Amino acid sequence: MPIKSYLAHPYSGKKNELSEAISCLSHCEVIPAQNENILIVVTETETMDEEKFLKSKLETIKSLKLLTMVSGFNTNKIK
Amino acid sequence: MRKRLGIISFFVILFVSFIVVWNYSYYQGQEEAYIPIDTNKKVEVITSEIGVFERSKFALDYANMPSDNTHQRSLESYYKNRAFHGAPPIIPHVIDDERNMGENSCLKCHQNGGYVEKFKAYSPVVPHPEKINCRQCHVPQKTNSLFVATGFKGVEIPETGINNALKGSPPIIPHQIQLRENCLSCHSGPSAPKEIRVSHPERINCMQCHVINNKEMRDIGIFIRKISNNE
Amino acid sequence: MYTSTTNRRSFIKKMAILSAMTTAATLFPGILFANEQERGLPKGGNLDWKKAPCRFCGVGCGVLVGVENGKAVAVKGDPNSSVNKGLCCVKGYHSVMAMYGKDRLTKPLLRQKDSYVEISMKEALDLIASKMKETINTYGKDAVSIYGSGQWTIPDGYVASKLFKGCIGTNNVEANARLCMASAVTGFMTSFGIDEPMGCYEDIDYADVFILWGNNMAEMHPVLFSRILDQRLKRGVKIIDFATRTTRTSMAADKSILFSPQTDIAVANAICYEIIRKGWVNRSFVEKHCNFSKGSTNIGYGLEDKFSFKDNPQKISFEEYKLFLEDYSPEKVEKISGVSAKDIKYMAAHYGNPNSKVMSLWCMGMNQHTRGTWINNLVYNIHLLTGKISTPGNSPFSLTGQPSACGTVREVGTLTHKLPHGVVMNKKDREFAAKIWDVPVENIPSKPTYHTVEMFRALDRGEIKFMWIQVTNPMVTMPKLKRYRDGAKKEENFIVVSDIYPTPTTDIADLILPSAMWVEREGMYGNSERRTQYFEQMVQPPGEAISDTWQLVEVAKRMGFEKQFYYNEETHIEEIYSEYRKHHNNNKHNMAPLEVLKENPGMQWPYVDGKPTQWRFNSKYDPACNNGKDFHFYGKPDGKAVIWQRPYEPAAEEPDAEYPFLLNTGRVIEHWHSGSMTRRIPVLHKAVPEAYVEINPNDAKRMQIQTGDKVKLTTRRGEIIIPASVNGRGVPAPMQVFVPFFDENMLINNITLDAFCPISKQPDYKKCAVQIEKV
Repeated sequence: MPIKSYLAHPYSGKKNELSEAISCLSHCEVIPAQNENILIVVTETETMDEEKFLKSKLETIKSLKLLTMVSGFNTNKIK
Repeated sequence: MRKRLGIISFFVILFVSFIVVWNYSYYQGQEEAYIPIDTNKKVEVITSEIGVFERSKFALDYANMPSDNTHQRSLESYYKNRAFHGAPPIIPHVIDDERNMGENSCLKCHQNGGYVEKFKAYSPVVPHPEKINCRQCHVPQKTNSLFVATGFKGVEIPETGINNALKGSPPIIPHQIQLRENCLSCHSGPSAPKEIRVSHPERINCMQCHVINNKEMRDIGIFIRKISNNE
Repeated sequence: MYTSTTNRRSFIKKMAILSAMTTAATLFPGILFANEQERGLPKGGNLDWKKAPCRFCGVGCGVLVGVENGKAVAVKGDPNSSVNKGLCCVKGYHSVMAMYGKDRLTKPLLRQKDSYVEISMKEALDLIASKMKETINTYGKDAVSIYGSGQWTIPDGYVASKLFKGCIGTNNVEANARLCMASAVTGFMTSFGIDEPMGCYEDIDYADVFILWGNNMAEMHPVLFSRILDQRLKRGVKIIDFATRTTRTSMAADKSILFSPQTDIAVANAICYEIIRKGWVNRSFVEKHCNFSKGSTNIGYGLEDKFSFKDNPQKISFEEYKLFLEDYSPEKVEKISGVSAKDIKYMAAHYGNPNSKVMSLWCMGMNQHTRGTWINNLVYNIHLLTGKISTPGNSPFSLTGQPSACGTVREVGTLTHKLPHGVVMNKKDREFAAKIWDVPVENIPSKPTYHTVEMFRALDRGEIKFMWIQVTNPMVTMPKLKRYRDGAKKEENFIVVSDIYPTPTTDIADLILPSAMWVEREGMYGNSERRTQYFEQMVQPPGEAISDTWQLVEVAKRMGFEKQFYYNEETHIEEIYSEYRKHHNNNKHNMAPLEVLKENPGMQWPYVDGKPTQWRFNSKYDPACNNGKDFHFYGKPDGKAVIWQRPYEPAAEEPDAEYPFLLNTGRVIEHWHSGSMTRRIPVLHKAVPEAYVEINPNDAKRMQIQTGDKVKLTTRRGEIIIPASVNGRGVPAPMQVFVPFFDENMLINNITLDAFCPISKQPDYKKCAVQIEKV
């Protein structure tokens, strides 16, 4: 069960748009920053394939300028 | 004849004036040199108040420093070096020079901290660098054995997590300020014990939110009204 | 090891979020995420967060109060508030604890001989109404009075003013803001013709130099000071502390300059002299937008009863002003002020530098001053001569002490001469107020009666027989306290006190009413930067306590004024505020409607076309400017500000052989004013449990006094014994001492002097002659 966290940089002025677009996706949580143009995105999916699919969906969002991964965990490995 | 008298009297006058001047300067020289003492020295610094701001110029650097989870110390290792809460820590490493008292040799590492490969740890920053006779209070440990066993039990160590009046309110300062005026030196940066490292070192004016409720001496108790205020 | 995959998953998710937050923080220091404020707080439960302005100082921080099961259990800063951006000070963080002291007043108490008897709220209100009617019938309208507060909410002040000025017909309405902001008000009125600062807190983000005139900002306006410190960290601004003693602010500042008390007038004039001499005057600004005037000199100190003073302003020319300033060269001022000519020139250079933006900040050091109006004028002179005013970053900013001294006392006008719009002396203003209040215009008297000090003197003399005191503690805060306490205790006076805890003021009351505090009722406060903030009722008040507003409304109804006090109990705050807004219905002062206040963290006035005016008098930012020029000081009829010629005059009581020290009083960050609220918060009480007298270390050494030794302070008014503090939190200059006034068990105001500024009538708590000796 991959759990990954990213920093999402929107184009200037598109923070709210990006935040709304990501929150529409399932398996995805978004935490916008109060005072800067950046958001935290946390994805939590069942399998690696789902995760890849979700990531590609994220990358198609128009208001997203850059998506950088901060940390990734795969809970399946550790029992 | 007159000319001779004139020359002689001239030299007499010269001689007399020489005696007079010499005596005068001798007696003048006798007076004690007196430099009045400046009694009203302007008080430049209030130690308990300035310590808060002392490392503040590094505050943004502290805020940006990453935390190093493998090499950080905890309150447990902090108190291992101290005989009791409030005691000066012993020097846990070997010192090269036995004959100096500290000052610039200790401060080379302890003024600003930093990672020390030899000990695989971060050097703690001293909150009172102006006191340069380090070895007056801080001594090394040359042996692990005791002369005679001791039954000493130290004062209670203040705990973290219980110093907030309300949920989420800023914790009070449970220790004395004396010799620890500089908050940032122990509460931020990679050398800070992990339980007390603050999330907001860039806020500088610590005592705006954190006040001293030091119960070490005696509990001050609650406010009691004097019922009659009539003279 | 781990109980279930769900637990481990949520733990890992938390770790992921945390590392993302840390990474973001390395990119953007100071970044805030909405959820971060709640870290460490139990999630879920019934915790409801509601916004309010802080109960304490004039900064007006936005706070979020956590309410659980009908009780306030937590406080955090409101990250949405532009005032404090989520940060509070120690008082703010513990503010909700002030509502829960064990000796909270819950029932009205009527004095019978030497003890108090509990009565019901209905009986108490009946009694007040009947006592007032009786007093008015026997002694006339001017025998009743009300003494309110800068901690009154806006509706409180409004109904008090309406009841006493509009319905009963007496101008005996005063508030404790007379003791804290009156000089600032008269400073504004004489220099600009209209009250309240022209800048806003955002000037802090633009200014390059901050000069603090005699205020310990690190302890008194801590959150604003932290904003300034933050700017220093990020932009390298300069902070100059110009004060009479060394404090935490001096330690934090880049430069600390000490001056001899009262000589701030001379130094301000010296700075103007230097600005003119070096050619730093903004000639076009002065020509287009300023007039020069001078007033009377040798104006006295108000020490006698029935002291009256009327200023005599005369227009002068720039040349005459320059000639006057010849007496104030830095070298001459150095001799009387103790500030070196070099330091005076240093400050003048900062003001004069055309490329730097300067913000001057001041509070009680300049206001509680026997020439308070003058010194306020002089600092405005400096900013007017250089043209550094009303633009972002250039700002002479008069800080307010109380949460609503601006909002209630100054804007609603709860002073003897004021109406919500205008003054009682002006016929048009009276007609305007009478129309909205729905009272005949003859009711509103045209002559102001007593200012605060005179009102308490009138109580002592017997001209006032009834006084209602709300939300303030005059029996701790009046100067020369003994006289006014004895006056209030006289048999024929009936004193009603509305408060939340027993205080020295309730000790002399004939009837004590329990009041609802802060978020136990609905209301609004107005802070220093003209921001009105609304708070809803979040918890129930204890026992029979009701809000001060409703106490006044109920008494008004009982006195026969149901028509004017038509308000419905559920919606009365809203109705009162809507009625109040009508008084300010113009571009220069429009108040935002209640819905706007509810949605936003407060809103600044003037609120025109849906936008707050941040910088007034500047045509670029202020829609009320209509003279076609860059700046329009519309308070004055000709649109120009006034540069006042004001000389140096000594203090009311200078040290002499018998009383060689100077006594200064003030506050500490932990305690609010008379301490009735903050001393009942354990954290704050334990931080500073009692008052002390700060003595200079050299003086202490000479007199063999150590910290903790008992010291006797004697003035011409009396004596008091206080423990000493040497080299503690503050260090006074040699031959000066400082005592914080929060301690009701050590009433320092028993020995202070009730001299006041003749123009503003604000007493000077910072200077009187005292002798100290070790006990």
